[in-house]
Amino acid sequence: MARGFEGKIEQVDANRWRIPRASQPGMRVDGVIYASSALIGDVIDGGGPAQVANVATLPGIVGASLAMPDIHWGYGFCIGGVAATDVAAGGVVSPGGVGYDINCGVRLLRTDLPAADVRGRLKELVAWLFRDVPAGVGVGGPFKFEKGPMRHLLAEGVGYLVAQGLALEDDRLVTESSGCLPGADPDAVSPEAYRRGRDQCGTLGAGNHFVELQEVEEIYDAPAAEAMGLEVGKVTVMVHSGSRGLGHQVCGDYLKTLRSAPAEYGIELPDRQLVCAPVESPQGRQYLSAMRAAANFAWCNRQLLANQVRKSLAKFFGQSQASLGTRQVYDVAHNIAKIETHDVEGGRRRLCVHRKGATRAFPAGHPELPARYKAVGQPVLIPGDMGTASYVLVGTEAAMRQSFGSACHGAGRVMSRTAAIQAARGRQIDKELAAQGIIVKARGRTGLAEEQPAAYKDVDAVVECVHAAGLARKVARMKPMGVIKG
Amino acid sequence: MARHCETFDHTADVGLAARGDTLGELMEALAEGLSDVLCDRSRVRPTERRPLTVEAEDVEALAVDFLSAVLLAFEVDRFLVTQARVTKASETSLTAELAGETYDAGRHDLKTEVKAVTYHQLRIARESGAWSGRVILDL
Repeated sequence: MARGFEGKIEQVDANRWRIPRASQPGMRVDGVIYASSALIGDVIDGGGPAQVANVATLPGIVGASLAMPDIHWGYGFCIGGVAATDVAAGGVVSPGGVGYDINCGVRLLRTDLPAADVRGRLKELVAWLFRDVPAGVGVGGPFKFEKGPMRHLLAEGVGYLVAQGLALEDDRLVTESSGCLPGADPDAVSPEAYRRGRDQCGTLGAGNHFVELQEVEEIYDAPAAEAMGLEVGKVTVMVHSGSRGLGHQVCGDYLKTLRSAPAEYGIELPDRQLVCAPVESPQGRQYLSAMRAAANFAWCNRQLLANQVRKSLAKFFGQSQASLGTRQVYDVAHNIAKIETHDVEGGRRRLCVHRKGATRAFPAGHPELPARYKAVGQPVLIPGDMGTASYVLVGTEAAMRQSFGSACHGAGRVMSRTAAIQAARGRQIDKELAAQGIIVKARGRTGLAEEQPAAYKDVDAVVECVHAAGLARKVARMKPMGVIKG
Repeated sequence: MARHCETFDHTADVGLAARGDTLGELMEALAEGLSDVLCDRSRVRPTERRPLTVEAEDVEALAVDFLSAVLLAFEVDRFLVTQARVTKASETSLTAELAGETYDAGRHDLKTEVKAVTYHQLRIARESGAWSGRVILDL
């Protein structure tokens, strides 16, 4: 469904396009979209640029309203958007700038398993994992967190699971923000959200979430790959999920709470989905403390999912987790708002950085990085579609200067779900993928059609653009072997 | 009774486009349309009735809150709706009864996970004597 863009958009260089501030009333900063000439057509047809311009009107926004090359139309904010607001200058936080799936993100495990050895038993292994990993609409998991333990989980994140013997300290250390955003308030989370989350920690969900077995196909940066334990020909496992019903409820609750905030603070909005409140207002503070609790839930969710994958692999191969070398490479959030300090116009400022379908990409030496990655930079995990590839990159200094330390989060959709289902009519996506040696299993009837490779942009082109623009540097490319979907 | 709901396309999500002779009929059509996205509604029996009252500051917020309550009933209690009946509706308050039953994996077919009911490009309006509405669901 082409929507086009009526406003002005001009090319800055090979990988950047600008929507000038002066081109639309209300814009406080320019819009800047990262896209190569190969991608810009889809970007404009996708309807995202108008949303980039809308976000540029938010109070306190600094630098530019940014979008990564995987940009596509979202609700309010585009997917692939990055927006930073200056807290001290009345900058706002917007739940729509985080999205319903708070701390949707990606975790990557590395193993010592040679892909060649796995291939002969791949079908069996995918079926094994499919049986073990709770996934799909309305499917709960083996863990039930009643109110008391859930309060700890929401406040303490993965650290709580470490204390419970459900996570390794090493996992926690290689998780963004060490698996816990401080300032999470369990009391800011509604009873409905607790009820939705009760049996969902450790479940995949549906939609675009997955567990994927991959083979490391190519290494671009040997020292970084070595630090991450990535070797050509070895198997990696990628987990993509978020905060499940608990996070969706938190977002919905606060969109409701904040409905009156724009009028109260004199903020004019071009779209109701952009509702927001100053970070330093009672509503803004309360949303952030609830959002942090949901983010902590999401890290715990991916932790329990990864635990399940590790256990299943060990049992399948009849070996211990240690002898399989299943170790966590990293875990990144790609739907989140964080208070960070960045250089803006020559000064250090406290910013509220919204990343909605964008990944943090901090450079080597950044104080927030774990010791293992201090010298190489933060791993940036980019899932592609299930027929092409996924990538690991590392953050750069250029990202700090250009995008508040952010890069893309995936390939980005080009086809609507309905269009994808229509395009799949009369075809069997699983058989097509099997012909390429990729085994997929999904619970839902329409999931595979909706998530077919053609529904996404070319992940190679998206990653190439991010790499060429300097926002993150390529480390490894992994090709899919087996995929489990809800 | 003239009411109708169909879905429309949105890049990553799906929208409901509905109409009804009255506001109540529009809301009924939207609630049943949401249920059609979640499951095969024809296989859900009306064995249980749940009352529901929603209040909001305007008619668009009212639609989001009403549909969010329908979604919550499924998310929390696995309650699937086969029929929605609005007994009283104004632009700021609505009383309804949801008929349906608890999800049974053996008999029911779940289709799509709905994360939320969004405000994005939300429109509820009265045009030439009838009500129409467009609501985008986040999937």
